[in-house]
Amino acid sequence: MWRYVATRLLQGAAVIFLVATATFLILRLTPGNPIDVLVGEAEVTPEQVAGIKQLWGLDRPWYEQYLTWLGNMARGNFGVSVIRTGVPVGTMLAQAAPVTITLNIAALVASVAIAIPVGILAGIRRYSALDYLGTVGATLGVALPSFWVSLMAIILFAVKLRWLPPFGLHSWSGYILPAAVLATEQTAVLTRMMRGSVASVLHQDYVRTGRAKGLPEAAVVLRHAVRNALLPVITVLGYRMAFLLSGTIIVETVFALPGIGRLLTDSVYHLDYQVVQAIALLLAVIVVVANIATDLVYALVDPRIRIG
Amino acid sequence: MGHRRMAEGGTTRREFLARAALMALSASSVGPARAAAAQAPRRGGTMVVTGHQEISSLSPDDAGPTVHWTAVTQIHNALLELDENYALVPTLAQSYTASPDGLSYTFKLRRGVKFHDGTEFTAEDVKYTYEWYMNPANHAINANNFKDVDAVQAVDRYTVRVRMKQPNAAFPAKGASTFIVPAAYHSRVGEKGYKSAPIGTGAFRLKEWKPAEHTLVQAFDQHFRGRPYLDFFRVDIVPEASVRAIGLQTGTSDSAVWPLLVEDNLRLAKDPNFTTFVTVTTGVNHFPINNKRPIFADKRVRQAMMHAINRQRLIDDIFKGTAVIATSHLSPAFKTYYEPNVTKYPYDPAKARALLDEAGWKPGSDGVREKDGVRLSFTCVTITGDQARRPEAEVAQQDLKAVGIEMKLAEAPVATITEKMHKGEMDASLFNWTYGGGGGDPDPSVTLRSNGGNNWSHYENPKVDSLIDAGLREPDPKKRRPIYSEIQKIVAEDVPFLYIMYWNWYTIFTKRIKGLPKSAFNGPQLYRKAYQWWIG
Repeated sequence: MWRYVATRLLQGAAVIFLVATATFLILRLTPGNPIDVLVGEAEVTPEQVAGIKQLWGLDRPWYEQYLTWLGNMARGNFGVSVIRTGVPVGTMLAQAAPVTITLNIAALVASVAIAIPVGILAGIRRYSALDYLGTVGATLGVALPSFWVSLMAIILFAVKLRWLPPFGLHSWSGYILPAAVLATEQTAVLTRMMRGSVASVLHQDYVRTGRAKGLPEAAVVLRHAVRNALLPVITVLGYRMAFLLSGTIIVETVFALPGIGRLLTDSVYHLDYQVVQAIALLLAVIVVVANIATDLVYALVDPRIRIG
Repeated sequence: MGHRRMAEGGTTRREFLARAALMALSASSVGPARAAAAQAPRRGGTMVVTGHQEISSLSPDDAGPTVHWTAVTQIHNALLELDENYALVPTLAQSYTASPDGLSYTFKLRRGVKFHDGTEFTAEDVKYTYEWYMNPANHAINANNFKDVDAVQAVDRYTVRVRMKQPNAAFPAKGASTFIVPAAYHSRVGEKGYKSAPIGTGAFRLKEWKPAEHTLVQAFDQHFRGRPYLDFFRVDIVPEASVRAIGLQTGTSDSAVWPLLVEDNLRLAKDPNFTTFVTVTTGVNHFPINNKRPIFADKRVRQAMMHAINRQRLIDDIFKGTAVIATSHLSPAFKTYYEPNVTKYPYDPAKARALLDEAGWKPGSDGVREKDGVRLSFTCVTITGDQARRPEAEVAQQDLKAVGIEMKLAEAPVATITEKMHKGEMDASLFNWTYGGGGGDPDPSVTLRSNGGNNWSHYENPKVDSLIDAGLREPDPKKRRPIYSEIQKIVAEDVPFLYIMYWNWYTIFTKRIKGLPKSAFNGPQLYRKAYQWWIG
């Protein structure tokens, strides 16, 4: 077991290192640099630009910048933002992270709360009206682009009904629409998973046994079927983390939320190297850890699975 | 214009606008009867405006982008400030004089002006601020505005004299419009500390700054022009243009600093619940063309291209009529220096063909003209994903094809375009850029002079070079005007780049914002006047 964990962690570290290096190289291969963005329309001389580049260490060869960056990362120093002219990237991440975390937890809780019961019901009563409704909802949820869903949600709930603010976080209600949009696709996927899983489990021998020994149907479904049906759903939840995070980028942009997704798009646009590198690294770590954790949880939940 | 703005097709705050918009609404409220009926100003409330990108710093040196500037201008003042009608208005200065040789400027400062920390504004603060920009060790982005300044002298507590190394007539508009920081405070916290905690003399002082979310400023009771009516002024960051429009419609915000989609602009401009100012930008929408390429060497070819392109159709079809035809490199918005009497290029394909024939370019077998075995063919690189200008290029491509010029289209990121255009490694591109007029001065040294850093088209004309120099050496605006008229006439004759149009700029306010000017030539500059507005 521990040996397995250690191996997975080492593999994960290699993946993270590769992601970090690739991000660094891709950014350096992209034409332009953050100084051009910083300077903007100001009438600057080439000497001035050279001076500003030197100030930020961007005049040095890329491999030197790379090694410095690796060294800093190893010491837990994420570097500084050029566009925010010297603000530590760590500070920027700390400011943005709570927004994204809140949004993702809300979306996750909402999607699980809806998808599990709906999926169970649809699985038990297959080809019923409820099942068809669930299928249509799930298909739409996956198919509709979240950008469009976001705008439609704003038009309906903020413009027409005036129930919720169209954007921003001036009150907690600002989280409702973006979390709901973010939860839509997730809910759709999980509902389908849960439905299929429950349906297949209901054919298992132990379910028949449960029924045969006279257990109430609710006990058969909830205690025996659902517990087993949850296994694949847990796996999916783990790897869906990455999808949730990418969905955050669009939702944070449309709803004007100052989270990690917005920070990433802004920084890519402005070629703010160290910020993009730090976020890419952070996302790689999250995905790797989520995957390892999923495998471990899987083993814990299902006694048949032995790892190591 | 910076990359961010070029990419978005926008203009910047330094886009000074000339033709006032005068939508029926603002025009109709002109007149004494109307003014008398207006509500009396009321104190209180928060005005919310929306911008598209984060405010990454509150230092005046970083306030190039329009959204930054909108917040920074509430907090600071300059000796001279440009107003929404293009006038350079003494603000922290009471008056100023230029010596006849243009070698010194003397500013009499306003007395009793307080910074937000309660200290008094004096000549020392001006001296400190200007010298900070002049010191190369500080790597100030706007250092160039002080390049010809020799020394700044605090003659007495309320008099500043700026001595020049050589005359530079752009100094009042560029140098003296620099926001003043308090010497004692800025020197203590340094520029780095100042970026997040600025202290100025402005009508509002900083209350809360969350770069990607909002910047909140609060009324400054001791402001020298009197406490503003608004209690608070807030800039919310909303990246999506359609969501900014929704903000206006739902009353979540009172104005959008950065443009909405054309459709939303047109719709809201007609809506009686909004006050709309339509102005013209100073940045010209143009095809820079590399004059060093042999096919563009003959000016008759460049003139023919101007005649070949149906610019009014581009404006009507691609931009829904929200632009005006360019006549040269200066915007008609820039009234003080705009020269309308120049060579014009109405849509005239026959004339285009005649000019090409005359220049020796004869139609080849595939319809593309040729001369000495060279085809009249080039590549125009538009900005990747540029949804406004790519279709513009496609229509122009058809127009050029009709007279026998082949323009191939390609796309590349902004940074690639600027780099390759600078190096002369690209035939042509299509973007908007300001050729003089930015900051309120017509000087195009950077864009039209042969050694200019942003001379995209690699244009070289010794006559223009010497006129540009003469314009900078002449402090008297009346004598400067004919110099810049001459430059515009030469540019219209030479056609160093294909100047197409000037876009309209919509500045929209909800009707609850009162005290707005009756008209404006310059939309972005309107936000300087927030201290006069109230919520009705």
